[in-house]
Amino acid sequence: MGSGSLIQGKHRYRLRFAERFQRWINRRIPPSRSVTLNQRRIFIFPSAAGLFFMFCLLVMLLTAINFQNNLSYALTFLLATLFIVATLHTYANLSGLTIQAVRAAAAFPGQRTEFELLISKGRQRRHYALHCAWPDSSDALVNLTDQESARVVLHMPVGERGWYKPGRLLLESTYPLGLLRCWTWLDLDLHALVYPRPLPTPELPGTASQDDDGAALLLPGSDDFYALREYRQGDPMRQIHWKGLAKGQGLHSKEHTAYAQRSAWLDWEQFAGLPTEQRLSHLCFWALDFHKKQEEFGLQLPALVIAPGTGDKHLDAVLRALALYGKEPASA
Amino acid sequence: MNIQEHIPRNALVWIVICLFAVVAPHATRLPLWVVGVYLLAVTWRIMVYRGRWSFPGRAVKFAITASCFAGIALTYQTLITLEATVALLLLAFALKLVELVRRKDAYVLLFLGYFVCLTEFLFSQDILVTLFSLVNVVLITTALIALHQPGQQRFSKEPLRLAGVMVAQALPLMLVMFFLFPRFGPLWTVPIKSGAAKTGMSDFMKPGDVARLSQSDDVAFRVKFEGEIPPQAELYWRGLVLSRLKEGTWSAIGYYQVPDEERRPVAVDTQGVEPLNYTVIMEPSHQNWLYGLHYAQSSSGSVVHAPDYRLFSMVPVEAELMYSASSWTQAPVEVELSSWRRKAETRLPADDDPRTRQLARTMHGEAASDRAFVDSVLAMFNEQPFVYTLNPGFLAATNAMDDFVFVSRRGFCEHYAYAFVLMMRAAGLPSRVVAGYQGGEINPVNKTVIVHQFDAHAWAEVWLEGEGWVRVDPTAAVSPLRIEAGLEQAMQGDGSFLSESPLSPARYRSIPLVNQFRLRYDALTYRWQSWVVGFDNKRQIELLHDFFGEISARMFILALFGTALLVLLPVAWSLLRGRSMQVSREHDKYYRAFCARLEALGLQRQSGETPGQYALRVKQALPASSATIDNITRLYNELAYADSALSSADRQDGLRRLRQAARQFRPNRRAIANH
Repeated sequence: MGSGSLIQGKHRYRLRFAERFQRWINRRIPPSRSVTLNQRRIFIFPSAAGLFFMFCLLVMLLTAINFQNNLSYALTFLLATLFIVATLHTYANLSGLTIQAVRAAAAFPGQRTEFELLISKGRQRRHYALHCAWPDSSDALVNLTDQESARVVLHMPVGERGWYKPGRLLLESTYPLGLLRCWTWLDLDLHALVYPRPLPTPELPGTASQDDDGAALLLPGSDDFYALREYRQGDPMRQIHWKGLAKGQGLHSKEHTAYAQRSAWLDWEQFAGLPTEQRLSHLCFWALDFHKKQEEFGLQLPALVIAPGTGDKHLDAVLRALALYGKEPASA
Repeated sequence: MNIQEHIPRNALVWIVICLFAVVAPHATRLPLWVVGVYLLAVTWRIMVYRGRWSFPGRAVKFAITASCFAGIALTYQTLITLEATVALLLLAFALKLVELVRRKDAYVLLFLGYFVCLTEFLFSQDILVTLFSLVNVVLITTALIALHQPGQQRFSKEPLRLAGVMVAQALPLMLVMFFLFPRFGPLWTVPIKSGAAKTGMSDFMKPGDVARLSQSDDVAFRVKFEGEIPPQAELYWRGLVLSRLKEGTWSAIGYYQVPDEERRPVAVDTQGVEPLNYTVIMEPSHQNWLYGLHYAQSSSGSVVHAPDYRLFSMVPVEAELMYSASSWTQAPVEVELSSWRRKAETRLPADDDPRTRQLARTMHGEAASDRAFVDSVLAMFNEQPFVYTLNPGFLAATNAMDDFVFVSRRGFCEHYAYAFVLMMRAAGLPSRVVAGYQGGEINPVNKTVIVHQFDAHAWAEVWLEGEGWVRVDPTAAVSPLRIEAGLEQAMQGDGSFLSESPLSPARYRSIPLVNQFRLRYDALTYRWQSWVVGFDNKRQIELLHDFFGEISARMFILALFGTALLVLLPVAWSLLRGRSMQVSREHDKYYRAFCARLEALGLQRQSGETPGQYALRVKQALPASSATIDNITRLYNELAYADSALSSADRQDGLRRLRQAARQFRPNRRAIANH
């Protein structure tokens, strides 16, 4: 009992420490899509190799003292001041770099998303061995020598549906001598969209699709003109019957036929009675299924309707709507 | 393996270069097989690199390490002398290369390399050695830099430049620390060097020893006088006093063979006489004795005064040693002789050289006084056909002095000193052989006296009633030129001077250019030794007094930090003063202005949205401005992401157009499409 509460106490302290660290670092390096490194944002401390080097210097100093050897003193002091000079060089290697968030790819839960950064040169002509990584992402080692900037792609497993925030990016370097480690923690305000986890159902409920008679379905954008109908919000511009509009016949959309099997609406209500996440997962599965078969489908969520369509962009819009259902919009 | 742990190929090449550069100055001291281990290690690592061989397994590593230890133990007979320790260190350095896999292995290897550079100084602190070590430090630093330039797969000299710059930036502060860091005594005893490299006089002497020494042109020590340099004939550098004759060999009386009450020198009256002051810098001799003129006193801490009025050091002179001394050349010493001393200085073995002893007793009987007897023996050397030569030939194994005095009559200084002291003691006069150096070369560049090994000499001291110990040099009776002009002049006739070292620059003193260079370099060495090598506590206090007046801890710290700032600020400035940043960042500024305009209309750019995606979204809302939005987005993308592909003219043009477009972009709130 006693030890349990102790561990809990420890845990609480650690949590409180982490919180305070977060608050402190948020003040010091506020989240931003583009960060230029300056002395407020760069930390520097001897690396493990640097500490070992200091130990070696101590041994050398003792040798110099015990042998009363002046040039040994001189060499020891030369290396000690080299260490100090290296501090400046290590700092200069990070100083002035600009790190920009470029892109965060969307992903399904359990997949790895792709974060793309752009690192641009600072004041040095050359920057070496810039190591960047999120705590649990893949890492990259970048040199900036001839080019002004370099793109860095990091992969990272994502969590559950919604916006995934990767936390602070660690950018570090021990160039040139490895004796000192210079680093910074950056919040690049990057969010990756995480779609719902696709969950299959044997069939899409509420579709009268058993009659596989090859009935023509209405698919906008196809070549064969079929009929005119009332304009619905969301219809693409090129489907508007402009000639009719010019003649004062009101706003109509042209409908075209395509050879599709089903007219599909993915509807929130189709999965009534299930928990929210499961509903979204099923909808996601079917959206992917339709997309794979290149069939037209639309989405109806409470307070959101996406008109039927096909193509990557359409799928993206649908998945995005599913991903963000009931979530806060990402803070800009 | 973490991507940071990979060793770039360029670094590997530099590490191998370091390996050989660092071992080079040690090479002459090392057994040949150690160099073989180096070649093996490098070959192995290259074969591993090429994928032909693999890294050694644990058992192989253990076997190699054990056999290296055994090899060192066999070669040096011990593991605790400095030579053996350094050889082990060098082997560890080579073998570490074979297990060089990760970056941290390279750290261990290269830091060890710095340490190997340091050990070289324990053997020599010569200017050339120092310069070479500085080069080595730059090379090791280069390897460290190359280690942190990932992806550099081709050999590149580029890191060498940065290493040179960094070492140069470190030098000024190093000098300050060097002169400010307090010097104190050793904290514990350290491994000593084995006797293999002992040079100069040894503590025993038999005929032929000094002549052998005369073949070397090494410098024994350098002396700087405060005033005028005394004439050559007065420069008798006493090193050893040899009072004991046994089986044809003269040796010194050991410290513990002297009774307690005799261990302190009898006080010498120096009242009212100005001493001759001078500073000696000795080359490492690995022996304990120091050199000084007649009746020398030294205030330097490490110098001890022996009862026979010579100077010595409690620890062997392993590195260049500087001490100052004062001499009263005319002062009579030990006018009252203790009975123990008298016995010690007259003792002879029972029964060799009967003819010489008989001759001495006869001559002493004929002489009016002890002084007259000394003169008559010197006159004998002078008038009889005695020859002063470096090649005296061999003397008979028994009764060698009888052979010398009556038959061969060819000898070097030690023969004359031996015969002379033998004759004095046979007549009952206290006398002894003194070994040391005589004369020296005056360097006109800096007025120092350079004493070479070939100036080694042996002479005698006789104790005379009322006068104390008097220096007598029988060699001067045979060859006055040796004392007045040095060995080279004395040997001019037979060409035996340095005949075993044909390349010695001292042999070519007659060629002005060579000689000038040699003397200048020697003057530089002197300055180096007195300022760098010989810098000690005493010099430090003098220097700090000259600079700051009073010495306090606060002044120390202030001086250190003050100079640190003075040195580091320019470095920081040169590193951080900023390349023109505008060029690369300008496009961001314009694009941000563009985004701000849109934001004012409620069209915020969302996180994770690329400029292209943002443009698509914004165009839907502002169909009227689509052309401008497209244009700005395209220009921005070009400038930000296709940067390296742009020529600088294109870049300037792009920036200009982006600026213009962004300024003219004035979207209207009313124009927002209704949705």
